[in-house]
Amino acid sequence: MGLPAPEDVWVVIAAYNEAKVIADVIADVASTGHRVVMVDDGSTDTTAERAAQAGATVIRHPINLGQGAALQTALDFVLAQGAETIVTFDADGQHRAADIAGLLDALSRHAADFALGSRFLGSSVNLPLMRRLLLKAAVLFTRATTGLSITDSHNGLRAMTRRGAARIHLRQNRMAHASEILHQIAVSGLKYVETPVTIHYSAYSLAKGQTLFDALLIILDLFARRLHR
Amino acid sequence: MIAQFLLTIMLFTILLYSTMTYRQAPIIGLLTVAAAFCGLYFVWFPSHATRLAELVGISRGVDLILYTWVVISLIMLLNLHLKLRSQMELITLLARKIAIADALRSPRPDAP
Repeated sequence: MGLPAPEDVWVVIAAYNEAKVIADVIADVASTGHRVVMVDDGSTDTTAERAAQAGATVIRHPINLGQGAALQTALDFVLAQGAETIVTFDADGQHRAADIAGLLDALSRHAADFALGSRFLGSSVNLPLMRRLLLKAAVLFTRATTGLSITDSHNGLRAMTRRGAARIHLRQNRMAHASEILHQIAVSGLKYVETPVTIHYSAYSLAKGQTLFDALLIILDLFARRLHR
Repeated sequence: MIAQFLLTIMLFTILLYSTMTYRQAPIIGLLTVAAAFCGLYFVWFPSHATRLAELVGISRGVDLILYTWVVISLIMLLNLHLKLRSQMELITLLARKIAIADALRSPRPDAP
């Protein structure tokens, strides 16, 4: 499988109240020539307007549902548009659009359906020690629960083929979706690879990041999900 | 005796409720059935409740019945939480349909 043309790659971004940074993030991604779709998850600021001005196709949730729900909306939308290659990208400015090429190359070179970004194969700028320990604990938990051999379980920078995206059906609306995606990748049996990426932590992105308490809520969410159909 | 009949009626209502719950959340349904049957047993055989209570260090059988009620209440709370999650999933699907339909109706920025 060769590399897709830039315009055949759809980059999806879930955003909630990211008016401060969203225009720069979308401009960065758009500079690669890929199509950009942003799901505005019921923001109360000007995120949607700024994203549209920056060149993204904007889908607006009428109410705030959570990042997982927004990501699934984006996947449903781009699959309906006939997307063959999809990249998920965070809205808070901690990802670099330059890393997308590495993910697409990994998909193509390994004939994989998922290329997962890993900050621990690549690098992290300004990653605090506590956050690093929390992420390492999450990796151990994910390895134990999914059997996937990965080094980074909560990285929103990923690429997937149409076949891979069609196997993702997120029902965890909020932060537990990152674990749910990995679980569904494991269940799908499709090929996945990890690719080094750089995550740049700023005071802004750190303030929006997860805490130890959030991690406990994620585990509860994952447990509760298994109790009902 | 009056209390026993009242408790029995309530526990049978819970048994009925558990059969409805079973379809949506089998684990919760089974837990509720088990707790309700325990409750029924202890209501009609209080001496057994007393013996079991002493065995596990609760001292009075009536306390054991009270604890059974607490367990049933907690299970029902959990079930309520799961129902809210299911409702949220339906709301999510609805909001997603609306969002995508709206996006398809509005012109794309790169459209000619």
